[in-house]
Amino acid sequence: GAGQDVGRSCILVSIAGKNVMLDCGMHMGYNDDRRFPDFSYITQNGRLTDFLDCVIISHFHLDHCGALPYFSEMVGYDGPIYMTHPTKAICPILLEDYRKITVDKKGETNFFTSQMIKDCMKKVVAVHLHQTVQVDEELEIKAYYAGHVLGAAMFQIKVGCESVVYTGDYNMTPDRHLGAAWIDKCRPDLLISESTYATTIRDSKRCRERDFLKKVHETVERGGKVLIPVFALGRAQELCILLETFWERMNLKAPIYFSTGLTEKANHYYKLFITWTNQKIRKTFVQRNMFEFKHIKAFDRAFADNPGPMVVFATPGMLHAGQSLQIFRKWAGNEKNMVIMPGYCVQGTVGHKILSGQRKLEMEGRQILEVKMQVEYMSFSAHADAKGIMQLIRQAEPRNVLLVHGEAKKMEFLKQKIEQEFHVSCFMPANGETTTILTNPCIPVDISLGLLKRETAIGPVPDAKKPKLMHGTLLMKDNSFRLVCPEQALKELGLAEHQLRFTCRVHIQDPRKEHETGLRVYNHLKGGIWDGYPASQIIPKKKKKTLNLDYLVQHLPDGSITVESILIQATAHSEDQGTKVLLVSWTYQDEELGSYLTSLLKKGLPQSTP
Amino acid sequence: YRDLHTFELHAPTRLIEWARGNRVCVAGYGQSGGNEILQLIPPPMLLTKETQGLCPERDFKVECGGFSERPVYSLKYVPDTSLLVTSGPPDSSLQVWQVSTEDSDVIKSVSTIATENGTGQSWAKIATISAGAPRVLHGSRLDRVQITEVESRKNVYTAACRGSEELSDLAFLDCNTLLLCCATGRLCLADIRQPQSLVEATSVPSAPCSEQWCMGTRHGAQGLEPSSQPVARLSSRGLLTLTDLRKTSEFLALAKARVPSPGSGAEFLCISWAPALEGYLAISGFDGTVHVYDTQSWDSSGREAEPIFVHKGHAFGGAGGSRDPPLVTVHMWHLQKPRTLLSAASDGSLHVWDWVQPCGKC
Repeated sequence: GAGQDVGRSCILVSIAGKNVMLDCGMHMGYNDDRRFPDFSYITQNGRLTDFLDCVIISHFHLDHCGALPYFSEMVGYDGPIYMTHPTKAICPILLEDYRKITVDKKGETNFFTSQMIKDCMKKVVAVHLHQTVQVDEELEIKAYYAGHVLGAAMFQIKVGCESVVYTGDYNMTPDRHLGAAWIDKCRPDLLISESTYATTIRDSKRCRERDFLKKVHETVERGGKVLIPVFALGRAQELCILLETFWERMNLKAPIYFSTGLTEKANHYYKLFITWTNQKIRKTFVQRNMFEFKHIKAFDRAFADNPGPMVVFATPGMLHAGQSLQIFRKWAGNEKNMVIMPGYCVQGTVGHKILSGQRKLEMEGRQILEVKMQVEYMSFSAHADAKGIMQLIRQAEPRNVLLVHGEAKKMEFLKQKIEQEFHVSCFMPANGETTTILTNPCIPVDISLGLLKRETAIGPVPDAKKPKLMHGTLLMKDNSFRLVCPEQALKELGLAEHQLRFTCRVHIQDPRKEHETGLRVYNHLKGGIWDGYPASQIIPKKKKKTLNLDYLVQHLPDGSITVESILIQATAHSEDQGTKVLLVSWTYQDEELGSYLTSLLKKGLPQSTP
Repeated sequence: YRDLHTFELHAPTRLIEWARGNRVCVAGYGQSGGNEILQLIPPPMLLTKETQGLCPERDFKVECGGFSERPVYSLKYVPDTSLLVTSGPPDSSLQVWQVSTEDSDVIKSVSTIATENGTGQSWAKIATISAGAPRVLHGSRLDRVQITEVESRKNVYTAACRGSEELSDLAFLDCNTLLLCCATGRLCLADIRQPQSLVEATSVPSAPCSEQWCMGTRHGAQGLEPSSQPVARLSSRGLLTLTDLRKTSEFLALAKARVPSPGSGAEFLCISWAPALEGYLAISGFDGTVHVYDTQSWDSSGREAEPIFVHKGHAFGGAGGSRDPPLVTVHMWHLQKPRTLLSAASDGSLHVWDWVQPCGKC
């Protein structure tokens, strides 16, 4: 068509067992079932209401919400639908408008009704920006400002510590009436971003505006009339502000009109949602209503017949009905006049026909209308380009990025660019494809107070900034995770505790009596042979860093030596008088120390000790 | 202006090259790596004869891109192949890349043409041709000029030039004739069939030794003897000389451009002939402007020439105030539309503009 790709956005995300549907758009180019997303993908059997935890709509453009009434009323979904307040207010208007064209003008039958739109909107829960909404105990969502159009939002979906951010359509550069998208460093596991304009290097806004103003000015200067069909809300406000400023600067006298009803409605919505506009508007709104223009007046049907130049903004936007079509019919025959189409026009509308080059149109009653007026098209749509996408990724710091786009275009270059700059994985699935993202979830575990107390009593004072290694037993029962000390775990499981004790034999050449050998060992161990052996490992249970060897190594009355809990006994060898056998015994917990002592003693005792 | 369109690239470029299929190529020259080579599809309005005002497709589209660690100072497509060659600091080696838009949109690095690196060598200037086998003419200094076959990386010719002057430009006049321009302004002609001989063209008027020169040759003119087209040279002081290669002992014309002084260096000096307008050339690199001159009114007096048109767009772009005004890094004529040029500046801006002929001519 006119170079724009208007797809049907609909993404299904499964996160930590929850299923969320993002957007529910309609494809404007098709007339049959292909215009709706294929909902059979969601679940083959079972009801959608049971399967989906919620539906989120990013903004009121029909390629993001156009299929919602069909989905909720004709396919069947009764769960919550989340969107921002402006979106909730404006969506039904656009849906109804579109329904009128499709059913009344084109005579379609398998389409949703006005009542369905109303019933659908009853299921909508409106949210505020940056407000955390608990969908259920585990699932929460939060909306962020996206720019693009009034009420457009990016949504963060969070379950436990896993999260996904869906951008919808967004814009990273502010314009005259909306700000730029913004998100905090929320570090989602996945960022889903649209990328339709990722490979575009855009003509500067100044150039577009300059050309638009030039065309309008030229037409008005030669006495012609300019018709600009618009939707009630959206780019219309942007263009009004633009024209008003231009008229003021150039001191132009030709009148500019805005359709009746449109001004009030627009003003009403902008006043209602003033926080959604940009800083400048909010500031000036206090002094004067930005949407009450000095040079732009309300239109009256009769004015269309006035001689002389003028500019008129009229609804609806595709010239398919109503006032804009009426005015068009009056002015089409004069080549001094001009009509500027502001955006995509659906097939079948007059807007679409004249943009395709048709100059003879069949109207009602088989009347032929010859179009001699100039037909221009302009696109002021606000989407993020590659630079904008990089900016958003930089702001949010996701671990993975997924790019969605309508065409199966290869965007290997952008993928590499993102991967290289941010060291994250970048995915770009085709329509219908499933992408699996691996996350590292943190699982919270309760620790028993007893274990905590015991572990903190050992070793150095715990440092809040450093991880501390603890030993315990993990009990997983039902949906709870608990970390307890082993004894308690055994108790709860009804198991008896067993102690493991190891004994090792070390042969020593020593013809003397056992108790003398024992004394030799004792003196040997008491002397400084502990160099190189970390104190914390020898005495893990003691807080002191220095060794008190008197305390550590003890000579018991029965001749045996203890080193902490390790027992060393000297016994005679059964056959060889000159050899003594040292029995080194330790418990399982003291394995390290036991092994160390064993290898030490295997090296032999120094001869010099008495 | 008849038309002016401004775009902003993600990173500034110092080259604009035309590729097959009306594609435009730009590349980053940042010192810290991560430079992108971008092959762009210009908006349809640039390709049509009629200038459209509010045409829906007004944007450049990135068709494919590649990543270069080195800054890319020069880039040339190799005719009749899907390859391109780039060069840039820190040495005079060349990088060969493959563009294959069918399978993927990534420009892949395929090979490197290494050169012996002596001391004081800067980056190589390059020119390409496809005569038999695709070849690239390259060198950073007068005594290091060589022709290498792109695919086999075999050296097929080395110029027997004496002198270690830095080169500012080189070109194939035809498949056998080379034109070399030194930064000092010295022009040399070489015939690759006679490696030992070298023809000197006129030197430039004597000047302070810090003055640097670059050249512009006319290409695209069919049927005409390449050496019959005058070669233009531009100095960092704004001096312009036109030389007829058949009569190298004298200047065809001499003029001076009105440029700010002191000059901001010769890094981005650029001069080029209009492919579709006889006698017109454009210069840039002194400040944020591009000048267009009609050389048919020039003589050998060396007096100041009045530009037909000055594009000032870059000076008014983007962040003003404390930042240094942007410097035009390169300009390039449109191959078919006679008065359309593309220019890029150090702030990343890319302009496409078309000027209106002042009264009298058409």
